[in-house]
Amino acid sequence: MSGPSGVGIGWRPEIAGFVAGLPGLRFVEVVAEGVNPAGPLPDGLAELRERGVTVVPHGVRLSLGGAEPVDPHRVAHLAGVAEALAAPLVSEHIAFVRAGGLEAGHLLPLPRSREAVATVVANVRRAQAELPVPLALEPIAALFDWPDDELDEADFLTEILDATGARLLLDVANVHANARNRGGDATALLDRLPLERIAYVHVAGGAEAGGFYHDTHTDPVPTEVLDLVRELCARRRPPALLLERDGHYPPAAELRGELDALSAASGHPVVT
Amino acid sequence: MSGDLAARQAELVAALVAGGPLPPGFAPAPVDAARRALLRKRAGDVARHWPLLAAGLGADWPTVFTDWADGRPTNGSLRDGWDLARELRTRDMLPPLGAEELAVREAASRYDGRAAPRPRRLPALARTGGAVAVQLAGRVRLLRPAPR
Repeated sequence: MSGPSGVGIGWRPEIAGFVAGLPGLRFVEVVAEGVNPAGPLPDGLAELRERGVTVVPHGVRLSLGGAEPVDPHRVAHLAGVAEALAAPLVSEHIAFVRAGGLEAGHLLPLPRSREAVATVVANVRRAQAELPVPLALEPIAALFDWPDDELDEADFLTEILDATGARLLLDVANVHANARNRGGDATALLDRLPLERIAYVHVAGGAEAGGFYHDTHTDPVPTEVLDLVRELCARRRPPALLLERDGHYPPAAELRGELDALSAASGHPVVT
Repeated sequence: MSGDLAARQAELVAALVAGGPLPPGFAPAPVDAARRALLRKRAGDVARHWPLLAAGLGADWPTVFTDWADGRPTNGSLRDGWDLARELRTRDMLPPLGAEELAVREAASRYDGRAAPRPRRLPALARTGGAVAVQLAGRVRLLRPAPR
């Protein structure tokens, strides 16, 4: 089983038929929490595996940035999904999703502090000890900052990656969203991130609303994000790029157009 | 700064999903934007678990859901939709499609409003807003649609 390569798409049940019809597809990602490692794979995913398509489980609820130790049952589930899919790696986020007994319902940012680095590193090591394959970590998009940042984004991420040996899942739309909403220069961040550690890249759409750019995954990929993909590839082309779409699915021709735009921007083969 | 990351994360989550106060030092407008974005995302998540309820409310779904969910932490999309459907039934605001979906769910599972719903072992009949659903040996059928 090879690592992710080329242009891929986030597999979702709603677009399983579309994904199955992509002739050149070599990799997809699936939300790990939606797969039962003991049961049959979701319709369509087993067929992709039989075709030799790489399937990367993407966790969204481990809460690796949570102050409490990561839940061993959640880690075991992610490990089980990786084995069921014979995945070459798994991915999760540098974020927390619950605290004080409450679920936030989405990925929340950490303070860029030494304490938070230590917290994430400890949880990532706990997870890595139980996972059968390497872990890639994704920095998230957030609308707000904590008041007490000690590090900038590049140092914060690099310290976590260095201390854990984890790969980087760079979400270019998140880089755009954070620069737009929290200030900072997106291309300057690309210059400082360890691009050689990228396992693959996420690209997604979003929309402006209420004075903020929202990383919705339900809108088209904006020009600014595609431009940033080109900026990234000019510095170092990642081995794989994945389009994430999580709702308001457009007509197939439009989704194919977005995949083709990723191929054009990166120079990877067309998959449609 | 305080070294108590756990307490500070808990304060932030409470501010975002449970109507708690804004923790010290955070900028109010961006945190409020995040709170609204979480509600919109949650509305979409619950609509995927309760497609007929959401479809029955049509363009009103986002507002009806977020008005109900604001300040009310999630119990997961299945229970959130269930609790909302029951509240709308009480207020006589449950649309026919939502009544049918609720009747089918209540015939299939027992839900006490406090813990995860559990499949019913015995045959069951559920009536909601004029809709009637029956469950026999785990198979559920809508016997009578809700009046339009």
